[in-house]
Amino acid sequence: MTDRRDDGERAAGPAPVVAFDHISKTYANGTVALRDVSFSIPARTIHAICGENGAGKSTLMKILFGLEGPTAGQVLLDGQPVSTATRDFAGRHGIGMVHQHFSLIPTLSVTENIILGHEPKKGVLIDRAAARAKVEALSQRYGLAVDPDAITGRLPVAAQQKVEILKALSRDTRVLILDEPTAVLSPPEINELFSRLRDLRDHGITILFISHKLNEVRSLAESVTVLRAGQVAGAARLADVPDNMIMQMVMGRPVEITRREPRQVTGEPLLVMSGVSLASRDPADRLRDIDLVIHPGEIVGVAGVDGSGQRGLVSLVTGAARPGAGSISFDGEDMAAASTERWRARGMAHLPSDRFTQGGVPALTLIENAIAGTDGDRRFQRGPFLRGGAISEAVAGMVEDYSVRALSIGERLDSLSGGNVQKLIAARELATEPRFLIADQPTRGIDVAAAAFIHKRIVDAAERGAAVLLVTADLDELLRLSDRVVVMFGGQITAVLANEAHLTPERLGPFMLGLEDMP
Amino acid sequence: MNRAFLAGLVRLAITLAVIGAVLLAVLIPFALPHEHPGTVIAAFLLGPLSSLRHLGNVAEYATPIAFTGLAATVVFRSGLFNLGIESGVFLGGLAATTAALLLLSFGPFTPFVAIVVGAVVGSISCIVPGELRLRWEAPEMVTSLVLNFAILYAGVFFLNYYLRDPAAGSLMSYRIPADAKLDRLLAGTRLNSGAIVALVACLAGGVWLYFTRSGLNLRIVGQGPVFASHLGLPSRRIIMQAQIVGGMIAGMAGAIQVLGLYPRFSWTQLPGLGWTGIIIAILARENPFYVVPAALFLGYLQVGGDFLARDIGIPSEVVGLITAAIMLAVTATAIFQHPAVLRLIRRIRQVEAAR
Repeated sequence: MTDRRDDGERAAGPAPVVAFDHISKTYANGTVALRDVSFSIPARTIHAICGENGAGKSTLMKILFGLEGPTAGQVLLDGQPVSTATRDFAGRHGIGMVHQHFSLIPTLSVTENIILGHEPKKGVLIDRAAARAKVEALSQRYGLAVDPDAITGRLPVAAQQKVEILKALSRDTRVLILDEPTAVLSPPEINELFSRLRDLRDHGITILFISHKLNEVRSLAESVTVLRAGQVAGAARLADVPDNMIMQMVMGRPVEITRREPRQVTGEPLLVMSGVSLASRDPADRLRDIDLVIHPGEIVGVAGVDGSGQRGLVSLVTGAARPGAGSISFDGEDMAAASTERWRARGMAHLPSDRFTQGGVPALTLIENAIAGTDGDRRFQRGPFLRGGAISEAVAGMVEDYSVRALSIGERLDSLSGGNVQKLIAARELATEPRFLIADQPTRGIDVAAAAFIHKRIVDAAERGAAVLLVTADLDELLRLSDRVVVMFGGQITAVLANEAHLTPERLGPFMLGLEDMP
Repeated sequence: MNRAFLAGLVRLAITLAVIGAVLLAVLIPFALPHEHPGTVIAAFLLGPLSSLRHLGNVAEYATPIAFTGLAATVVFRSGLFNLGIESGVFLGGLAATTAALLLLSFGPFTPFVAIVVGAVVGSISCIVPGELRLRWEAPEMVTSLVLNFAILYAGVFFLNYYLRDPAAGSLMSYRIPADAKLDRLLAGTRLNSGAIVALVACLAGGVWLYFTRSGLNLRIVGQGPVFASHLGLPSRRIIMQAQIVGGMIAGMAGAIQVLGLYPRFSWTQLPGLGWTGIIIAILARENPFYVVPAALFLGYLQVGGDFLARDIGIPSEVVGLITAAIMLAVTATAIFQHPAVLRLIRRIRQVEAAR
């Protein structure tokens, strides 16, 4: 087998530790995920893989991790062809993966999670002392400090991620794959993660970093391969290319990033919360003394580290929870005790953060998901019966309008990629021309093109006069869309800022971390 | 739509192939010791189809289990694993008998009134566990299972002290008056007008689930409870509705079984029709339209088993064995999600798309 590279340039230095050789993958349902993908990754580097949702990144990583076999082509490790998708492939070849959704068992201890699957044995029993020592040694060696005896589920997300990384490293790992590892972290935690990853590289581990976020790719990786629609759209050393070129490779067309012109909104506010507090079993949902107003046509962005009370805030204005104290009024009506049904009747629409459990039913069709909740809509119903023809027509129109990519509208929702699911949910929620839109992490984990599309629709809604509450961990998104920014920390609002040109992520940081508080 | 239909056919064909394989695997060991093994298998497979009367027997067996299959489908679709349908059948039969014995005659409407009484009373068995779950989060599987026996013994007590005919040799009710009985449809069988009701009920159930707003809402609540609450659907009401409807159908099953088949009410054990209903619901993939063929299929197995027992002397319990083995095979997703199957379905869809 030849050790070939496809990007034209032959890197001097160590031989590629991983090479993909003409990999194609077609799924049983007909989806072509990868088409003739070839590139290689030199040892001891951090290599980024970029691309939109559905571009094939995850599939490629699943092939490398041995979860799936390629339909054609092969994977080469150290120049040797290997057959993936064999039992314990990744473990035997020293490939570790940190999944976007943690694969940890929350009720087990850190040690138990890390040794799971390859436990040191003493006879038939697990050698707990050896296991603990092994975890401590790992933790020391790679500078990832964790308490080996802590119950995993009780740790903060960033610590759980460290456990996940240690788990991935626990079997003489030489190649570490990280799938969107920063999605769950705050900016300082991201910096911490990146310096740990650089340490790992210096320890001789090759890192594959999968990300949407260009600034992160640039600050961490040395080289990048861009996938688009299952093919290699380009490869480059990051030092050689400007951002907009990578962006173009990802998108296939140039993209513009502009802050939305903040608008002065006058008149009566639509939503008024004053002195609102919320008691909750989960401390991350508790709220204290919240004052918030949103005017018609205004987008108010909520910034904050995950778990600062955003979820509690959203639950109050969607009717999922009742405040312990304070008042909530909407268009002059007292809504403190309103149900979700009543909020919706007043014109509330909600893009929830968890698409598959809160935003739709995976096992139902696109049609059914698209018309869910339109009870009594005469266009879709004649008496108790659904009007199949009219519904199909309307849903086909929605799918077209929101460019949802699907085989047919009769397919199940879970046959779509995340971005397309979110587009369909947005189509449904915005079809009602809401007066009050709650967008909770509206573009998390979805590709740039879909995100730009969703952004446009949110802005359109505001321009039609909707009051918009935007909750997001993505500060770019926050600054791009919001007229006003409120920052939450520890269940309180620590700052309310007009979104002017001098407002930067750096300026928001201290408020988000509770280092600063506006009087 | 067309593609989905064709893909469905592939699944159906595989289901039939699996069932056939299991049938033969269980039957052959019983057939081999026999002088003519071929006749054993032929008796089982072809016997039920051999005359109109035997086909009538198949439909007769299928009637109550189509009802309970539909009841289980409705209840399960709400996301609750409510087993109250078993005692719902018992209660429905008892209540219908009581109504027929104690109430005035309503002429030709007497069976109708008795069935309605059976349905309403029978629904209690599903309503109680449902309410306990919604109000106090008591697991419905446990409460309904326990309640089944409470209802059975309360019912046997009632039968013994209020309906018992002292002149009859064992514990059974007075004779059910003739005007309360259902019309027989086919001479030589006990097939009665209940079969028509069952067929209509299953079709109506399918239309409800797939072509009405409230059916869609029920499926949303059952399969996506969190989404339902985000939509602001009245989940509790929808779940309760399903328990009431499911319980009523189970009650109807019992009422129709007793009024259609028996001279007296004589159940002193749970009749087991609810359990069979669960099997039907699983076999029919919780789709009311498929409940009818699934019930007919189990009826066919049952009649085939009767042939074995009567003509050849193989115990009819073998049928239970076959049903169990078929359930294991049919619910094995490993077979139906097998890559080769999925590939075949994909190819069909592509051909369709190309046209």
